[in-house]
Amino acid sequence: MQNKHIRNFSIIAHIDHGKSTIADRLIEYTGTLTQREMEAQVLDSMDLERERGITIKAQTVRLDYKGKDGEMYQLNLIDTPGHVDFTYEVSRSLAACEGALLVVDAAQGVEAQTLANVYMALENDLEIVPVINKIDLPSADPDRVKEEIENTIGLDATDAVLASAKTGIGIEEILDAIVERIPAPEGDEDAPLQALIFDSFFDSYKGVIAHVRVKQGKIKKGMRLKMMATGKTFEVTDVGCFKPQPVDVGELNMGEVGFVAGSLKDVRDVRVGDTITFADRPAAEPLPGYRGVTPMVYCGLYPVESADYDNLKDALEKMQINDAALVFEPETSVALGFGFRCGFLGLLHMDVIQERLEREYHLKLITTAPSVIYHVFKTDGTVLNVSNPAELPPQTEIEHIEEPFVKATVIVPNDFVGAVMEISQDKRGVFKNMDYLDTNRVMITYHIPLNEIIFDYFDRLKSATKGYASLDYELADYQESKLVKVDILLNGDPVDALSTIVHKDRAQGRGRQLAAKLKEIIPQQMFEIPIQAAIGSKVIARENVRARRKDVLAKCYGGDISRKRKLLEKQKEGKKRMKAVGSVEVPQEAFMAILKID
Amino acid sequence: MQWGVYIHIPFCRQKCFYCDFPSYAGKEKLMEAYTEALCQQIEIQGLSFRQKWGKPATVYMGGGTPTALPPQYMEQVLQVISAHIGQEIAEFTVECNPGTVDKAYLQLLRDGGVNRLSFGVQSFQDELLHRIGRIHSGAEAVQAVQMARQAGFSNISVDLMYGLPGQSLADLQASVRQAEKLSVEHISIYGLQLEDGTAFARMEEMGKLKLPTEEQAEAMYDYMTTALPKLGYRRYEVSNFAKAGFESRHNRSYWHDVPYLGLGAAAHSYLEGKRYAATADIAEYIAGIKAGREVSELEEEPTRAHVMEEFAFLALRTAEGLSRQAFADKFHVELDSVYGEVMAKLSGQGLLLVDKAGCRLSEQGFKYGNVAFAEFILD
Repeated sequence: MQNKHIRNFSIIAHIDHGKSTIADRLIEYTGTLTQREMEAQVLDSMDLERERGITIKAQTVRLDYKGKDGEMYQLNLIDTPGHVDFTYEVSRSLAACEGALLVVDAAQGVEAQTLANVYMALENDLEIVPVINKIDLPSADPDRVKEEIENTIGLDATDAVLASAKTGIGIEEILDAIVERIPAPEGDEDAPLQALIFDSFFDSYKGVIAHVRVKQGKIKKGMRLKMMATGKTFEVTDVGCFKPQPVDVGELNMGEVGFVAGSLKDVRDVRVGDTITFADRPAAEPLPGYRGVTPMVYCGLYPVESADYDNLKDALEKMQINDAALVFEPETSVALGFGFRCGFLGLLHMDVIQERLEREYHLKLITTAPSVIYHVFKTDGTVLNVSNPAELPPQTEIEHIEEPFVKATVIVPNDFVGAVMEISQDKRGVFKNMDYLDTNRVMITYHIPLNEIIFDYFDRLKSATKGYASLDYELADYQESKLVKVDILLNGDPVDALSTIVHKDRAQGRGRQLAAKLKEIIPQQMFEIPIQAAIGSKVIARENVRARRKDVLAKCYGGDISRKRKLLEKQKEGKKRMKAVGSVEVPQEAFMAILKID
Repeated sequence: MQWGVYIHIPFCRQKCFYCDFPSYAGKEKLMEAYTEALCQQIEIQGLSFRQKWGKPATVYMGGGTPTALPPQYMEQVLQVISAHIGQEIAEFTVECNPGTVDKAYLQLLRDGGVNRLSFGVQSFQDELLHRIGRIHSGAEAVQAVQMARQAGFSNISVDLMYGLPGQSLADLQASVRQAEKLSVEHISIYGLQLEDGTAFARMEEMGKLKLPTEEQAEAMYDYMTTALPKLGYRRYEVSNFAKAGFESRHNRSYWHDVPYLGLGAAAHSYLEGKRYAATADIAEYIAGIKAGREVSELEEEPTRAHVMEEFAFLALRTAEGLSRQAFADKFHVELDSVYGEVMAKLSGQGLLLVDKAGCRLSEQGFKYGNVAFAEFILD
């Protein structure tokens, strides 16, 4: 296809604002799939994604559309992950496009994450086509939303497309706007290949499949190509596009979007953001913006049954095949035995991995509370990166500790400004900025420790703002903080997996809350269980789980026997979900207790 | 061959507030038809098992309240038992509610072949009795036991309860003393358990049930387990205490793998290693028997693991415990090869006493029986 007939675009939208439905309608309207072939939400294909209403893996689809001018156009929709954990992936997807649809809910208006992505799109010089969705809702107020788009983003929203993906209103107008307003790709077809990788996945037949956008040159079957960052070379065995199922097209020309495969075994050789070029005649420079994967959040994953260690290892390895952002290494805990320290892009990424391990690999897991990476400057001049609180050196060996801070952006109706500020101050945030988006909505910016964000910051924001708050954050810097480790002792024995690093001024309170929460979680046992929180050797809080006084079913006669056996089976099953730490049976959720304190 | 018969009478004058047994109040209309159906079932099934296995060692009539049946129906049932199951049964127990029997009724039972009575007394305090929905007073209970003696019963049990709303340790002590004064041969003491669907469970949900604290309930438990043996009642099972030679043979058979045939609605049977349950719906039961249909169904196809688990935890409810010999005889494997690790662990926790003969619960083990029993559930 000639490049003037190609349009590459993505859709920027907040969760629930209708991205998937619009994508579905575009696919349907262009006849790429008939309605019958159309599963609801084609693009969000993982069950988990559908349940959570989010996109984790980006996907693409090629649409053939006959424009008003009677010409055939190739429209490549590049779907982007819709969560703050995947900002980098989003930025690469956007870099593969010339334009983006900005989908905003006609009733709810612009949200923080949308804003972050729009700014990112503008940085990539994308042409933005505003679409105001859900105009069929009784509470729809497209004029207010237009104004908001103009005020907050500075975009001219006069020509915004009014749509209702649900009822099909505005779909043709969207397609025409894509053709008319988004520029065609430009580049030199004869120059050495530069193809941007914006996603990859593992296929058990074809190996790693890279999603690419050809910026210059072309890709044909049989070519020898090279990854510029990882240096990996391979021969192209498959090249095609998604409609949305993979279709072999034999070549991808300048400006086109599709996939490339070449018996690549390891997803880590195919990095998002890397540039593919010719092995023998490489491009002078890679495309800009490549960045290695940097996990932000760590936690320990342990099998409840120690015999499952190898299964957990296998499962993590299999997941890593498809997820280059997941990192893990073996770790040992006195309390929990053998497990893995795992690094994730963020909390959602962590949640998703855990849930998949339990669901797809049927593993019973104990997860320790998430932690960030601390830079620990020791008195001997060395610097340690610590992501596991249990590994923090003794206080006497520490000169100082630095922790990661983020720039957090919160958007709320102005009634809730006070609540947001109160929570943010409480979370050790430093106020940076406040902007009125319109007469009603405010954008507040804070410099705040990542550690505080992962400890229920968003949950608290949500509940204090009746669910109106939207949050986006990005890593800002590392700064020195007065941090200490709070240890938990059960029955007098320290439980390493329950240790946590907190700010010195909060240690007392956190210790007390944590001890109280553990008291709720740990069931009564045959003996009394003292719970203590301590900094070093100083006990800062103490609770007691009272002994269970007796536990025996009084009656068991002829008619009760099967029922009683089932009760005992249940009791045993419940016990299996607990980890014996010394003589104390500790339920799985105890290790996440720190996240559940108010 | 040792075996027993259980006969269920699903009627009650009033449903007690804690009761989740298959028993119904206000279904007097069905009594006649039920008696008919029951007699028919006793005649057919009782006879066929008797021909196969000989006369059973025990018959136990429970409920509900067997003595809620009017005397003429009771007489009918007793006659059929005598004719088709056997006369002079070694142990023939009937459960009685003290508020439902008079001297004539008790005489009828005695003359009909019954040789053991189990009175549902629960407490001798009127206020407590009222609070838990019993229809009799403490004095009526005393009187009932005395009348039973006069009718010629020399093997009498009373059921008592602890952990009742508003009950104090002193209340329990007074009831135990009263039972002892009546020189009953056997005492069962049950801790109150809140079962789903009972009046008490609903009251608890609404926060209207004032139960003793865990510590108070424990003190009552401790009292019962220490005071009763001192009074000459040996603990032979978690909740059962008896003077020497007066242990309930029928109930012991539940814990020691003896087969039993259940007759009547909601009755359970254990035959040839399988457990069956009859429909708890009285009308359905009557219709089924009349039509010659099977009224019981298999509860579940037992696996070897299930059979072992039940064998173990039932035996462990008793003072003699789990015997190595009996286990090896039944399963053709050594007890240690299946439960060696579990026994060592529980013994280490002080819950189990292990010796050459087998294992049994310690005092502490009885107190935390469920913890020990659950360990005997296989993976």
